[in-house]
Amino acid sequence: MTRMRLTVVAALATLLASLGLHPLFEGSGWAWSGLGAIIAVAAGGALARRLRLPTAAASLVASAALLVYLTVRYAPGQALLAVAPTPGSLARLARLLSEGWEAAGRYAAPVPRGAGIELLATLGIGTVAVLVDLLAVQLRRAAPAGLPLLALYSVPAAIREENLSWVAFALGAAGFLALLLTDSREQVGLWGHPVPGRHGGGDGRARVNARSLTAAGRRLGLAAVAIAVIVPATVPGIHPRGLLDLGGGGGDGGSQTVTTPDPLVSLKRELTRLSDQVVLTYRTDDPSPDYLRLYALDRFDGDRWTYSPLRSTPDDRVAGRTLPAPPGLLTARTYAVTTRVSVAENVRNMTFLPAPYAPSRVSVKGDWRVDPESLMIYSLRDDAGGRTYSVTSVRAEPTARQLAQAGPAAADVLRRHLRLPSDIPQPVRRLADEVTEGARSQYEQAMMLQRWFAAEGGFVYDLNAAAPRGTSDLVDFLLVSKRGYCEQFAASMAMMARILGIPARVAMGYTRGSQGPDGRWVVRSRDAHAWPELYFEGAGWVRFEPTPAGTAGQGTATVPRYARPAAEEEDRPRDGEESPTAPSSSGEAERPATRPGSREPADAGDAGRAGAADDGAEDGDRLVVGWLAGGALVLLFLATPLAARLLTRRRRWSRALSSAAADGRPAARGPGGRREPSIAAAGDAAALAHAAWQELRADAIDHGVDWRSGDSPRAAARRITESLNLTGPAVEALQRLAVAEERARYATVPAPPDTLREDLRIVHEAFGAAVDLPTRWRARLAPPSALESLRETGRRAVGAVDGLALIRSRDRGRRELRRR
Amino acid sequence: MAVGTQGESYANPHPPTPSPGSSRSDASGLEDLVRIAAKIREAVESVIEGKPMAVRLALTVLLAEGHLLIEDVPGVGKTMLAKALARSIRCSVRRVQFTPDLLPSDITGVSAYNQKLREFEFKPGPVFANILVGDEVNRASPKTQSALLECMEERQVTVDGTTYRLESPFMVIATQNPVEMEGTYPLPEAQRDRFTARISMGYPDPAAELEMLDTHGQSSPLDRLTPVADAADVRALVEVVRQVHVAPSVRQYAIDLITATRRHPDLRLGASPRATLQLVRAARAYAALDDRDYVVPDDLQALAVPVLAHRLLPTAEAQLERRLPEHVVTELVNRLPVPAPHR
Repeated sequence: MTRMRLTVVAALATLLASLGLHPLFEGSGWAWSGLGAIIAVAAGGALARRLRLPTAAASLVASAALLVYLTVRYAPGQALLAVAPTPGSLARLARLLSEGWEAAGRYAAPVPRGAGIELLATLGIGTVAVLVDLLAVQLRRAAPAGLPLLALYSVPAAIREENLSWVAFALGAAGFLALLLTDSREQVGLWGHPVPGRHGGGDGRARVNARSLTAAGRRLGLAAVAIAVIVPATVPGIHPRGLLDLGGGGGDGGSQTVTTPDPLVSLKRELTRLSDQVVLTYRTDDPSPDYLRLYALDRFDGDRWTYSPLRSTPDDRVAGRTLPAPPGLLTARTYAVTTRVSVAENVRNMTFLPAPYAPSRVSVKGDWRVDPESLMIYSLRDDAGGRTYSVTSVRAEPTARQLAQAGPAAADVLRRHLRLPSDIPQPVRRLADEVTEGARSQYEQAMMLQRWFAAEGGFVYDLNAAAPRGTSDLVDFLLVSKRGYCEQFAASMAMMARILGIPARVAMGYTRGSQGPDGRWVVRSRDAHAWPELYFEGAGWVRFEPTPAGTAGQGTATVPRYARPAAEEEDRPRDGEESPTAPSSSGEAERPATRPGSREPADAGDAGRAGAADDGAEDGDRLVVGWLAGGALVLLFLATPLAARLLTRRRRWSRALSSAAADGRPAARGPGGRREPSIAAAGDAAALAHAAWQELRADAIDHGVDWRSGDSPRAAARRITESLNLTGPAVEALQRLAVAEERARYATVPAPPDTLREDLRIVHEAFGAAVDLPTRWRARLAPPSALESLRETGRRAVGAVDGLALIRSRDRGRRELRRR
Repeated sequence: MAVGTQGESYANPHPPTPSPGSSRSDASGLEDLVRIAAKIREAVESVIEGKPMAVRLALTVLLAEGHLLIEDVPGVGKTMLAKALARSIRCSVRRVQFTPDLLPSDITGVSAYNQKLREFEFKPGPVFANILVGDEVNRASPKTQSALLECMEERQVTVDGTTYRLESPFMVIATQNPVEMEGTYPLPEAQRDRFTARISMGYPDPAAELEMLDTHGQSSPLDRLTPVADAADVRALVEVVRQVHVAPSVRQYAIDLITATRRHPDLRLGASPRATLQLVRAARAYAALDDRDYVVPDDLQALAVPVLAHRLLPTAEAQLERRLPEHVVTELVNRLPVPAPHR
């Protein structure tokens, strides 16, 4: 009574469940070690059963095997013959364990590799293996064996607050179901074999029965796992962040998609807020601080600028490391600046950190992460409100010449940042060319664009302009109204840059604000700003400023040195001004008129109230949007069969017709007037007849006719005629269709397809007239035939699973044959 | 001639309708077939009322170069059908009444010593005809029944080591009473397998029976029957039938059907490969009679019971539970999906 199969499956289930631990540790050493522990326990258990030891003793043997394994692996030096545990080896194991414990307490997951951690993981997995072996194999209680497996699975769930990947869940669940299935199968086997029938050759039939039971179990298990994985992922509401996230882009695999309130919506609100609330204050060693960026919006879908969905993994954490190098920044001179930012207490929903581009190191409390592409710093659960943090940034100081001589950008940058919606009108494209006429480089084009927006184009900064909605509003801004605020300026310039082939994106955040007498910079909500960032190889992402500055524009906007008109002519940069240590003499010019800071204390209270009210409104909006989206989803769901039906109908005909077209000429007529069948023409007519027949079949099923796959065409026609009581021309049309299909299937020469569509129409109308009203409407709105393809897909999936099992059993058969 | 045999030759007073030449294209061949078959059917149905299916099956077997077994209780018109079919075609027709003392030589013929010529001379038996009507075939002893084996399958007769070819067309129409009846020897399996189809007449419906009373009251309608075709016509029609197209999928369907009978748990003996051949051949004829130059699965379905059922042996359990081979075949036909193109 070794129960070998059950032992192996129990070990496998433990192994699969243990794979769920992977987000907790770095590297894969722990997994191999855990596998060894599982094998050791299974071997120990199997040995004990071979020796017919009592249950308790068997568990002891399995535990002993685990101990021996741990000794061999982690303390061979202290052990007797490197195998037998001694007090010395036990002490070493204990020491390693306490080290591991300490490391686990010190590091956040994923824990760096180390012998102690590995031992800890191995011991845990091994213990679960012992328990599973005891419950499932010794006591034959497969269902409770799920509890230790669940415990194994819940460890990462408890430690990591994020959701576990569905892969880990599916694996663990599949392992447990396999264990249940094996156990049940062995129990069914104990009932004995059914009395063999006279036919089917003795136990062949009995085995077929067991196999069909197994197949049923496998199908149920597959369906359960599939439902458990798919339903929460697709149904909004069950899962906090479903695949169909209403707020952001699509999700991806094991990483999470980050969603925040629409940045552009909040920008307008910030800018037009009556109370000019202090958002943050900062100190910096940068003599001429740059803008504080929150978002980089790299996607323009014709409706608005958004950022590509962020795929967040634990590797993206900013804590204690240098952030990824800014893309493209290679040759331009750089200098490092450190900014210490304090965000006001009453700021809400700020899940992105304002930081000067390009951040290279951030020290902040909480779980903050960086998007390696855009270097946005965000958090999945923390809020920047009330936080103080410091950012070290690498500021690039490219010269005009460097920018003018920039080579072509890398392919992936181009792919992501040149994408434009297809509906951009020609006048805008022409305008982009006109404005930049005569430019010798992309840099010059960018400069001309900036000048045109800020000065020559006749644009007026107007905060009362409506927030742009879609391309048409931008076109209106560019060609007609020419009134807008930073959002229009930034979005338009980025769009035109893309038209001209310069990679561009829209950045959002705050201008540098105004400096107080104590050297502290104060940034208020009116300093919220949007600006275009253009990409030049060698310098990376470079800020431009098309929005008019000063009192008739964005008050605190500044134009960077390389983007000032003088810089264009400036061939040789003055070293003194470029150096980070020497304060630039032109810094004064950059500095805008500072705002009086006297309103600051009064603002805080107002802003708090305003912020709260805004949050409420936003929640209400989101609720409405949610309901609308949910309603749309329900409608969509209901309309699916209809759409599927229409699509299949169209596809069916077009496929048949295209095969006809591909085959070339229509059926030629012979000299005697008789139809001269060419092979190609025969193929066409057959394809059309099949298409017509499939269409008829779908139509019949839609109208509630019991369609049997065993029916021949004429039998089907007869059945339809009888069940719907058809008469007259409909019956004739039906028979013509049946004969056409019959000829297409079985005759050498198919019938000419001339009347097929007309016949179908006649039959369709007769169907509609023959059924009652509800059936007719069901056939129109929710055709049952459309569900069939879905069912067929499911059947194929089940078939694939069964096929796998078949291959396995065939292999087994082959192995047995070889053995003989 | 031994007691119990009758050699009958029907003298046909009327000439047959002129038959078209044999050198015709397929399409017109099919048209001729349909036309001539309609005439024969009309002729036969003037004698046998209300049995269109039996008549059609008889014609099918004729065109499929097969042999027909008509099984039913006495008095429902078995012999009448056989004779009517034989009479509507102008060809040599012999009739043999099978009795328990009938000898094989009574069927095949004997070599008799000719005193004058001082040598043995072969006297051909009734089998040397285009249509042999064997009445109550299961009343003869198995030995005599077996005499038909060679001539039915190989269309030849061997007497005293000499082989004689039979004429074409050659068709055996045998009638028999159900085996449960008294004084019958059930046909051996090998013999049954040589019959392409077995049909039963069944009682006529009341209306047809009433009409029969009217017509048969005065004179036998058989006497008024005139041939509508001749042997050459039948040979030409058989040639047309051979050209009927059987799609590979339909052939596969036939094989599936036959294979299913061999695997069915209620059957002790399944259908033979000869059954497959004859099924497809009969299907060709059936399709041609329907004015089609291709076979559809419906043909096979319609023919499955007449062509297959009499060859199958049910198991003892099935027999006890009155599950007849007919039922098994019907069940298989309903269960087996017809070949359809892959979607």
